[in-house]
Amino acid sequence: MPTRRVFLQNLIRGGILAGLGLLTGSLVFRSRKGGTCRLNISCNVCSKNGSCTLVPAFETRQFVWQLDPSKCIQCGRCATECVRTPSAVKCVHVYAMCGYCDLCGGYFKPDTKTLNTGAENQLCPTSAIKRSFIEDPFFEYTIDENLCIGCGKCVKGCGAFGNGSLQLQIRHHLCDNCNECAIARKCPAGAFSRIPATSPYLLRGFGKQPLSGDKPGEPESF
Amino acid sequence: MKSKIVIFVAIVMLIAIMGYMAWDLFLSAPPEAKNPWEYKLSDLKRVDSSIPNYIEMKPFKPEMEEVHGVDVDMSGTIYVVGKNRVEIFSRDGNLKNSFPISGIGTCITMRNQLIYVGILDHIELFNISGDRIKRWKRTAPGSVITSIAVNGNDVFLADAGNKMVYRYTAEGKLLNRIGQKDTVQNIPGFVIPSPYFDLAIGKDRTLWVVNPGRHSFEHYTMEGHLLNSWGSASNSTADFCGCCNPTNFTLLNDGSFVTSEKGIERIKIYSNEGVYRELVATPEMFAEGVKGLDLAVDPQGRILVLDPAKNQVRVFVRK
Repeated sequence: MPTRRVFLQNLIRGGILAGLGLLTGSLVFRSRKGGTCRLNISCNVCSKNGSCTLVPAFETRQFVWQLDPSKCIQCGRCATECVRTPSAVKCVHVYAMCGYCDLCGGYFKPDTKTLNTGAENQLCPTSAIKRSFIEDPFFEYTIDENLCIGCGKCVKGCGAFGNGSLQLQIRHHLCDNCNECAIARKCPAGAFSRIPATSPYLLRGFGKQPLSGDKPGEPESF
Repeated sequence: MKSKIVIFVAIVMLIAIMGYMAWDLFLSAPPEAKNPWEYKLSDLKRVDSSIPNYIEMKPFKPEMEEVHGVDVDMSGTIYVVGKNRVEIFSRDGNLKNSFPISGIGTCITMRNQLIYVGILDHIELFNISGDRIKRWKRTAPGSVITSIAVNGNDVFLADAGNKMVYRYTAEGKLLNRIGQKDTVQNIPGFVIPSPYFDLAIGKDRTLWVVNPGRHSFEHYTMEGHLLNSWGSASNSTADFCGCCNPTNFTLLNDGSFVTSEKGIERIKIYSNEGVYRELVATPEMFAEGVKGLDLAVDPQGRILVLDPAKNQVRVFVRK
């Protein structure tokens, strides 16, 4: 026979359980409605019709990781240390600095005999740079980000022989923006730092000029 | 007694092994990670150091923040221009005179007792004492004057910004433009990816202009008719490397070309017909990445190299 004491204990337990249930339910309801995410992580924003989109991490943060091309020594760690495969660090082409050279130090291997697009002539290990003829003697070089692994080989060649228009940058639509960036931890040049998310790119020669193209498939422009 | 020694040695060895293991685990530096995509530029720059027939003499250092241009007159006096300043040195490198200029001096030429100084988009004329005689109007919008050559009453300016050579009278009147792309006259047009664009007057009083984007020298009459050209691109010592080279050149007294390059930093000599002759300075003699090694030759045949990385005028003489 339950005593009055046991009855009161069960009542309190039941009350606490019901309260927890209500709290959980209200949180789920808020997230479905699309409340403002105040946490320092990327979060789902859902519309009233039920569709949800993953907001890029950099849009929900005040600061993002970026690497300074003027400090970068092209050590290759951007390609090997990033938690993402392939790395969120990609080669970015600053066209305004490019000489559109026929003999591009970032595209061709140093011992290339004939300047054509043969794979054996290309410096890039994944053929991520596309070369297209403009007019004699100018060629345009574009980066296929789906192929680029961020090794920096082309960046070194362009910097040594050309104007340094090929530069490595963290692409924020790909970056998880980890609290402690795995590449920053290993970068021997100390080129990584957190910068304001409002101007998330550091392009050499162009200061804080923003780089668009953060939606997958969107072309780069300045 | 013997067993005690054995035990003692065994304990010492054990402690040594434990110590090594502890050091290896906690204190030793991790092995340097190899870069699987390493691009070794040093392999391209390796040259037999016994090859050059020139030796370097004691350099001298201009007292200015940046150095950009050097020239030598018939008496061997050396003129250096850089940020906000011109300095004049004796043949031995002793400072004789200096005077301020209004901006970054990009190039300098001394002829007919006048010092022609290129200051970004225009030129200014000074006398030997440093008094400004004249300031010419800006050549064209976007001009970057990188070289000046004087031939009698003609003054030639290389404008890297507009990819053009301008011929002026000594009074500053524009006579004609040289090097515009012209398919009828077979003029390919200058290709200047970076602000290095040099010219000089040849022994036969004609004009030599470097076309760095095409890795060639182009030979023009004063009126701008293309006579011929030479030059080819590759990383081999006999050719010009990278996207756009040579960056600078000067002519020896016999009409041979002395050239400097970026990417693979080296000074070379070509015959007056454009045939590679010899190496003056090897890449290991320069800081990696140095660009714009301006050149001059004095009446004794010494080759002067203005090194912007070391802020020095370096002197090379034949062995």
